[in-house]
Amino acid sequence: MIRKLAFACLPALLLAGCQDPASTNQGSSRSEIRIVGSSTVFPFAKKVAEEFVNFDPERRSPILESTGTGGGVELFCSGVGANTPDIVNASRRIKKSEFERCLANGVDDVIEIIIGFDGIALAQSKNGPKISLTVDEFYTALAAQPFGKGPNRAIRWPDINPALPDTRINIFGPPSTSGTRDALEEIIMEKGCKSDPAVAALSDSDKERFEEVCHSVRTDQAYTDTGENDNLIVQKLSTNPDAVGIFSYSYLADNADTVRGVPINGVEPTYATIESGEYPGARTLYIYVKQKHVDVIPGLREYLAEFMRGGEHDGYLTRIGLIAAPDKMRSEMLGRIKTLSTLDGAALK
Amino acid sequence: MTETVSMPANLPAPASGARKTDWMGQTMQKRIASRYAAERRFKFMGLAAVVLSSLFLAFLLFVMVGNGAKGFITTEATLTVDMPAATGSISAEQLTGPRLSATIASIDVRRIYDNAVQAQYGKDGSRFFASTAWTALRAQLTENPDLILGKAKFWLPTSSDIDRAAKDTSTPEAEADYAQLRQAGEVRQTLNWNFLTGSDGTDPAQVGIWGSLKGSLITMVVTLFLAFPVGVLAAVYLEEYAAKNRLTDLIEVSINNLAAVPSIIFGLLGLAVFLQFFAMPRSAAIVGGLTLALMTMPVIVIASRNAIKAVPPSIREAAMGVGASPIQVVFHHVLPLAIPGIMTGTIIGMARALGETAPLLMIGMRAFTTTPPDGFTDPATVLPVQIFLWSDEVNRGFVEKTSAAIIVLLVFLLTMNAVAVYLRNRFETRW
Repeated sequence: MIRKLAFACLPALLLAGCQDPASTNQGSSRSEIRIVGSSTVFPFAKKVAEEFVNFDPERRSPILESTGTGGGVELFCSGVGANTPDIVNASRRIKKSEFERCLANGVDDVIEIIIGFDGIALAQSKNGPKISLTVDEFYTALAAQPFGKGPNRAIRWPDINPALPDTRINIFGPPSTSGTRDALEEIIMEKGCKSDPAVAALSDSDKERFEEVCHSVRTDQAYTDTGENDNLIVQKLSTNPDAVGIFSYSYLADNADTVRGVPINGVEPTYATIESGEYPGARTLYIYVKQKHVDVIPGLREYLAEFMRGGEHDGYLTRIGLIAAPDKMRSEMLGRIKTLSTLDGAALK
Repeated sequence: MTETVSMPANLPAPASGARKTDWMGQTMQKRIASRYAAERRFKFMGLAAVVLSSLFLAFLLFVMVGNGAKGFITTEATLTVDMPAATGSISAEQLTGPRLSATIASIDVRRIYDNAVQAQYGKDGSRFFASTAWTALRAQLTENPDLILGKAKFWLPTSSDIDRAAKDTSTPEAEADYAQLRQAGEVRQTLNWNFLTGSDGTDPAQVGIWGSLKGSLITMVVTLFLAFPVGVLAAVYLEEYAAKNRLTDLIEVSINNLAAVPSIIFGLLGLAVFLQFFAMPRSAAIVGGLTLALMTMPVIVIASRNAIKAVPPSIREAAMGVGASPIQVVFHHVLPLAIPGIMTGTIIGMARALGETAPLLMIGMRAFTTTPPDGFTDPATVLPVQIFLWSDEVNRGFVEKTSAAIIVLLVFLLTMNAVAVYLRNRFETRW
C-alpha cells in the first residue's frame, strides 16, 4: 500500500519540479488577451469580451480584471511582454506622469482609442426627498476647503442653500485610485470652484494652490469612499434614502428602478444630455493598447474591432449605458486601429 | 428531584469533635436540590447549544437550497426558424463529414436569429430572449445539423427578467410578457444544463459554473500534490529522524505559527514571490495552487506529526527487533498506522483551501473570463471567488445563481471529503 502511495507522490514531486519552468516559458507568449483597468469601463469590456468569444467559440476569452484606472495604468506601464497587460481601460485620459513612467519601462508605443462617453452621474434613492443641485452647491458640499476659505463645516444641505432638503450631507463616491474620482475632480468640482473669480484667477498664478482648493475632497463623515465598486454604491443608496451617490451613468441606466439621477444645474443625467454635452458631468472613456502586442497576441485586432462595433450608435454597448462617440470621431478611431498610430506624449497634461 | 437521599445504615461513627451530618435536614436537602438543579441547567444549556447550531445549519441549508434550486431551472421560449429561407440552399451533402464545420461557420446565425425574432415577436422581440440567446441557437444547430435543412422550432433561454417572472415576481413589463408567452404556450421550464456546463458571462440567464468548478479542481490538484508529500515528509523527518534540540523546537514553533497565519498574508506572499519574483502568469491556477499549498502544508505537518506520535513505540521496537532498518520501520509500520490521522488532517486543510477567497484575489484570480481553464497555467477563477463576484452583481437574476453556485461548492466539498473518508477507512489498520 505504501508503495502505491509513494508512486502517487512521485508524479506530484515531478509536477512541482517541472511546472515552474513550464510556466515561465508560457511567459514569452500567451494565447489570450489580458485587460486591466477602470471599473467604469469594466461592464462594457466584459460585454465585448463575451461577444468576442461568441463570435467564434474557438477564440480564447480575454482575461479582464477591474483594478481602477490608476492601478491598471500602473500594471500596463510596467513593461512590454507577455507578463504585462495588453490593454488598459481608462475612464480618463492617461496622465503625463503615467505616460513618462510607461516610456521609462519601454512602453513607448501606446495606441489611444476613444470608445465613447460616459457621464458621472449623481444619483439618489427613489425613496429619498428629491434634490437638485448646482455645480457650486455640489462643490461646496464636497470640497475639503470650499473656495480656500478654511475647512468645510457644512453638515446638512441647508447649511449650503436653505432651499435644499433638510437632511445630512451623506455622499458615497469613488476612492482616489479611481478614474471616476479624477473625472469628478477635474470636470464637476473644478467647474464649481471656478465660479469664484478669485479662485479662477489662481489657476494661472498658483497652480498648486488651485488644485488644493479645487480638487481635494473632504475626508470627514460627509463623504464615504466605497472602493472600486459602483454596484456597492447603488446598494448603499437604496438603504440610505437621504444619501447621494457618485458613479458612472451606465450604472444609473442599469438601476433605473431603484435610483434616480440628481439634476446638476437643472440638467438630468440622460443619454441625450450627456451626448449633447449639456450635462456638466460628461467624460470620455479610453482604452490604451500596446502596439508591440498587436499581431503577437492573437485576436487583439479583432477585439478592438469588436469594441468599436459594440460602441456604434445602436450597438449593444449603448444598450448598457455607453454613450456613442460622434461619427467623425469614430471613423478617426477606426483609422487608428487600422494604422496602429501611437500616442504622442506631448499632447498630454 | 423527588428521590430522597437515604442515609447509609452503617455509617461509621463521626470522629470526635466533628458534628454529625444531618442528611435529612432542611439545609442539606436544599443543598442537594441546588446541585441537581445545576446539573439539569448544564444539561439544558448543552442541549440548547446543540439545537441552536443545528438550527443555524438547517436555516443555512434551507435558504441556500430554497434560493439555489431555482438556479438549476431555466425558462425557455420557442423560436421558429425557417432555415432554408434564411440560408439559401444548403444541400444535405454539405452537412457531411469534414465540410460540416465550414458550413456552419458560413451561416450568419446571429442575423438569422435577429430576423426570426422580429418575425415572430415583433420589432422589439429581442426583449423576450437572453442577450446572447443566438449562441444557444448555434449550439443546437451544431449538435443537430439536420435542422439546417428544414423549418424548425427551437427552445431558447428567455431574458433574466422573464425567467424571474416565471419563478416568482419580476418587473410589471416582464410579468406581462411572460403571461403573453404562457397564453400562447410558447414557454417552458427545464433543467438548466448550461449552468453546469457553461462559464461566467454578463447575462444571468446564460452564466454557468463549469469554468470556476474546473478552476477549483485544477487548483486543488496542485495544492494536494504539493502540500501532501511535502507535509508528510516534513512530519516524518521531524518525528522520526530529527535530533531533539533547540533548532527542532524552533522549527516546530514556526510551523505551528504558520498554521495560524491569516490567509490574506499568504496571498501577499504569493503576489510577491510567485508573481513578482518568479514572474509567473497572473490569475493562473498554478499560482493559486502554490499559494494555497503554502497555507495547507503546516496544517498537514501538524496533523501528521500527531498521528505519527500516536503510533505506539512497541511497534517500532518490535520491527527493529526483527531487523528492520529505520526506513523500513517508517514505511512498513509507522506510516500505515498513521495514515488515518494524516488523512484527517489533509481533509481539514484541503477543505479550508477549497473555501479560500482572499489570497486568490491578491494574485488576480478574480478576473473575468468565459473560457474554462485547460491547464495549470491557464487563467482561472475558483468557486468561492465566483460566488463572491456574483454576489456583487446588481442584476437580481444573479441572486439565485449565487445560491446555486454555493450548492455546487458544498456538493464539491462533500464529495471531496467523502472520497477522503473512504480512502481513510480503506487504509486504516487496526492492531
